[in-house]
Amino acid sequence: MDLTRREFLKSSAATATATAAGITVPAAALAKSKQADAGVQWDKSVCRFCGTGCGIMVATKGGRIVATKGDPDAPVNRGLNCIKGYFNGKIQYGKDRLTRPLMRMTDGEFDKQGKFQPVSWERAFDEMEKQFKKTYQDMGPHGVAVFGSGQYTIPEGYVMAKLMKAGFRSNNIDPNARHCMASAVVGFIQTFGIDEPAGNYDDIEHTDTVVTWGANMAECHPILWARVSDRRLGNDNVKLVNLTTISNQTSDIADLEIVFKPGTDLAIQNYILREIVKNDAVNHDFVNKHCVFSTGPYDIGYGMRGTSKYAFDAEKDIQAKELVVTLDADEAVAQRRKPGEKVKQNNTKKPVKHWLITYEEFKRGVEPYTLDFVAELSKGDPDEDLAAYKQKLQELAKLYMDKNRKLVSYWTMGFNQHYRGSWVNEQNYAIHLLLGKQAQPGNGAFSLTGQPSACGTAREVGTFAHRLPADLVVFNPKHRAFSEGLWKLPANTLNPKVGSHITKIMRDLEDGSVKWAWVQVNNPFQATANANHWLKAARKMDNFLVVSDPYPTVSAKVADLILPTAMIFEKWGLYGNAERRTQAWRQQVNPPGEAMGDVWQGLEFAKRFKLKEVWGEQAVPGLKAGGFEDGKLPDVLAEAQKMGYSPDDTLYDVLFANKENRKVKWPDKSVAKGHGNHIAEKLDDGWFPEKALFNEYRQFGVGHAHDLAEFDVYYRDDVRGLKWPVVDGKETQWRFNEKYDSYCAKGSGFDFYGKALKALPSGDLDKVTTPDKTSLAHKAKIFFRPYAAPPEQPDKNYDLWFSTGRVLEHWHTGTMTRRVPELHRAVPTALLYMNPDDAKARGIQRNDVVWIESRRGKIKAVVETRGRNRPVKGYTFAAFFDEGVFVNKVCLDVTCPMSKEEDFKKAAIKVYKA
Amino acid sequence: MNISGILVVTAPEHTGNVSKKLQSLTGIEIHYVDAATGRIVITQEAETISAEVDGLKRIRALPHIVLAEMSCHYFEEDRELLDAIPAELDDEGLESGSVPACLNE
Repeated sequence: MDLTRREFLKSSAATATATAAGITVPAAALAKSKQADAGVQWDKSVCRFCGTGCGIMVATKGGRIVATKGDPDAPVNRGLNCIKGYFNGKIQYGKDRLTRPLMRMTDGEFDKQGKFQPVSWERAFDEMEKQFKKTYQDMGPHGVAVFGSGQYTIPEGYVMAKLMKAGFRSNNIDPNARHCMASAVVGFIQTFGIDEPAGNYDDIEHTDTVVTWGANMAECHPILWARVSDRRLGNDNVKLVNLTTISNQTSDIADLEIVFKPGTDLAIQNYILREIVKNDAVNHDFVNKHCVFSTGPYDIGYGMRGTSKYAFDAEKDIQAKELVVTLDADEAVAQRRKPGEKVKQNNTKKPVKHWLITYEEFKRGVEPYTLDFVAELSKGDPDEDLAAYKQKLQELAKLYMDKNRKLVSYWTMGFNQHYRGSWVNEQNYAIHLLLGKQAQPGNGAFSLTGQPSACGTAREVGTFAHRLPADLVVFNPKHRAFSEGLWKLPANTLNPKVGSHITKIMRDLEDGSVKWAWVQVNNPFQATANANHWLKAARKMDNFLVVSDPYPTVSAKVADLILPTAMIFEKWGLYGNAERRTQAWRQQVNPPGEAMGDVWQGLEFAKRFKLKEVWGEQAVPGLKAGGFEDGKLPDVLAEAQKMGYSPDDTLYDVLFANKENRKVKWPDKSVAKGHGNHIAEKLDDGWFPEKALFNEYRQFGVGHAHDLAEFDVYYRDDVRGLKWPVVDGKETQWRFNEKYDSYCAKGSGFDFYGKALKALPSGDLDKVTTPDKTSLAHKAKIFFRPYAAPPEQPDKNYDLWFSTGRVLEHWHTGTMTRRVPELHRAVPTALLYMNPDDAKARGIQRNDVVWIESRRGKIKAVVETRGRNRPVKGYTFAAFFDEGVFVNKVCLDVTCPMSKEEDFKKAAIKVYKA
Repeated sequence: MNISGILVVTAPEHTGNVSKKLQSLTGIEIHYVDAATGRIVITQEAETISAEVDGLKRIRALPHIVLAEMSCHYFEEDRELLDAIPAELDDEGLESGSVPACLNE
C-alpha cells in the first residue's frame, strides 16, 4: 500500500470514528476522507451476528467487500462496532467456502454410506424430492422436518414457514431460536398476552439502575454494554448490579456483584417479591388498575423423554426425574411441602396451564422466601461470608424498591436456558409490575436476544412448531381460518397439531419418527445439548438429512446432501432485533460459485410439488381437534378447485409466484439503486420475491399491533430500521404506555392489550377452585412461581458444575467467526475456566489438557485458571463455539417444560488430566 | 495491512495522560481529542496479525480507559491473513468447488 493511500485511509477511518462519537470534524478533513472512498460503493446494512442489531456500512469495489464500518446514523450502535461486527466483511471469504452441492454417492447413485461428491443443483433437488416424497407418502406431514433459524432473513423464514405449513401441511418446522429465547417468549405471552418487549435500548440512557441477570453483557452484547458503561460513567447516581453464577467481565464495572448457585435465581426473585410486599413498596394504583395475580402447577417435569428406552445407562438416574421428583429440603420449604416427598410429575403435558389467584394467596406464596432461607440456599461462593452476602441481597431489594430510582433488568441465556426458564422470565415481570416500573422510559424488564432475527423472523414470522405469523398459533381455529384467508387456502388446509420442537426433532430422528429433515441457517448438530445421541441418529438411522450451509460445519459433515448457500451480503434481507426494530439491506456482492440464497432453495423445492401430492387426505397421528376426523387432515383438493386452483398447479405457483406476487417486478430500480438480486435473476420470472413476500407477510400484523411498514420504507436512505408497531408511518418507542403507543385505549395510562390467554379460571396456590373463566382483558399477570431444584447437580462422581455460553470474539458455533483469521487468533480454542483451588485439588495446572466428562460423554479442553471468567469453587465454564472441543457432547438436554428451551447452563461434570 | 478507527473514552480529567500513553504505542496516531467529554479518536495501523489483534487489548489495558471500541476498518487483500485460518478448517490444495477432505473423514 503506498503512503498516500495509507494516509487517505487513516483520515477516512478517523473521520468516520469521530463522526460516530459526535466530535466535530473540520471540513478539510471531511473532503480528504471522501477522496479515500473513490471507486468504493458504500451501502447501509446490518450486522450478521447477535440480537443487538447494530447498523454497519459495507463498502464494495470490483465485486468484493473491501471495508465495513459502524453506521454513524444507526441509533443502536451510533457508529461503534464490537470486534466481531468489525470483521463482518470477512466472514464470507473463508478458504473452505462451499460452492457446489455435495451428495454422498457410490457409483453415481445416492448412498448414505457413500462419500461426498459434487453434483448439479438439478441432481441435488431430484434426490431431495425423491426422498421427501417417499417419507411423506409413508409417514405423512409429520415424518418430515425443518431445522429453521433465528438467523433466517424475514423472507427466508416466511418462505419456509409457508411452504411447510400451507404447502406440506406440516408443523414440523422449529428454529434454533428455540434454544435462545423460547423461555422469553413464554414469559411475554403468559404475562402480557403478546410477544416482545415493551421498552427499547433507549432505556439505557433514561435509567439510573441496570441489573443484569444471567447476562454477561460485556462479552455477549458489547455495544449495548458500551452504552451502559457510558451512562454509568456520566452519572455517579447510576448503579450497576450483576447477578451471575460465574464472576465475569460484566462484573468489572458493576457496583454490586451477586454470585449465586445455579437455579436459585428463582428463590432470589421471590425474596425480592417478598420484600416488596413486606415493605409495602407495591405500587397499588398501578397493580389494581393494570394487573392480576396468577400461578400454575409445579409438577411439570424437565422436558426430557418420558421413557429411558433411548438413554445411555449413565443418564437413567436423571431421566427418571421426568416421572417422579423427590423434594429436597429447600424445595420442601419453597413449595410448602415435606422434604423427601415423592411428587409424581402429573402436568408434563400441560405445563403452561395457569389460573388466577388473589393478592392474599400471592403473599402466602412468597412468605417462605425470607432473607435467611434465600441467602443460605442461593450463596454461590462457598468462601463468601454469609452476612456479607445477605447484605448484598438486601441492597439489591432496596435498589428495586427505591421509589426515586428508575430500573432496567436485562437478561439473556442465564434465564432463558434454564429448566424453569419461563418461570424466571415471568418472575422478573412480576417484580417490575408489582413496583409499577414497567413500560416507561428507563423502567422495565427487558429480554435481550442472541440472534440477529430471533425476534424479526423466528418469532414474528412464526417459524416455530406452534406458531403462524404475528403471534397467531396453529391450535387456535380462528387463527388458522384467518391465515387460510390471507394465504388464499381452502379451509382446513392448515394442520392444527403442534409439530416437534427442535430438541424433539432430534429425538424424532433418533427414534425414527422423522426420516427426512432439512437444516437451514444453523448448525444444530453442534448446538444441541447431548449431541452424541443426535450425531448417531443422523448417521446410523435410515433417514435423509439435507444441510444448507456456506461452510463444512459439524451438521454438514453428518448430512447426506449439502447445499452451498449464499451469505448475508450476497442476498437481500431484513432482520428484526431485540427492541422490535426491523432493518433491511441490499445484496452487495454475488455469491461465489454455484452458492444460492435460502429463498431460492425453498422456492425451487416448492416447484417440485403439485397440489394433488400434498392437499389430499393426510394421516397425522395424534391429531385431535374440533372439525377434524381423529388423526387425519381432510382432502382439500375439491375446495381448491372451486377457488380456481388446478390439482396440477405447483406449490411455487400457488403459494409464492401467484398472480399478486408476480405484479411486484424485478428489476426495481428505485429500491435496488444499482444492486443485483441473484435470486430474482436466477428465477427469471420477472418478480421480486423478497419484496413481494415481505409485503404479503406484513398483512398479518397490520391492525393487530404488529404493524410493519412497507418493504420500500426500510430501504430509504433516511431510515435506519423502525420499531414496530409502525402506525401511520411512526414507530412505537414504549409499548403499553398510552403516551407512546397508539394501541392503548384513550385515558388508560397503561394498557396491556395483548390478547392471548386473557380469560382464566380461579383458584388457590395449589389448584383451580372456580373453573368459570374471568376475563382479564387489558391486564398483565403477576405470577407466583416457586423455587425448584435443578434436576442434575454435582454429586460424588460428577463433582463440578458446568455451564456453556459465548465469548466476545466468537459467535454461536464459530462457523463464521473462526474463519476470520484475526478472531481465530484472538481466541483459537474454547478453554475450560476453573477455579485455581479446584484445579490444584485435581493435580491440574493452567494450560494442562484435561478430560471433561459427564453422564453423556467426554471431551478434551485446555484449562484456564485466570483470565476473563473467574469461577468460584465448584464451578466451570467453556464456550460452545469450538467444534474441536464440542461442549454439547457433555451438556444436558433438559428443557424448560413450558418453552422447550434447553438448559445449557447446569450440567454436572468431572475433570481429570488427559 | 489493516487500518482501524478506534474511539477511546476516558474521564475528562485523564484526557491528557491517556493521550500521551496512546502516543507512545506503535502504530497509533491520534486524530481528534475532545477534552470536555474525554473522547479520543485514534487510528491504528498494524502490519502483522498479532499486532492487530493485540492492538485493542493493549489500549484497554492502559489505566483510566473506560471504553475502547473500533468504529471502522479497512483491509486490503493479504495472503498472510488468508493463510492463517484454523488448521481443521483449512484444507491444503482446496480448489474452488472441490470437496473439503474433512467431509469425507
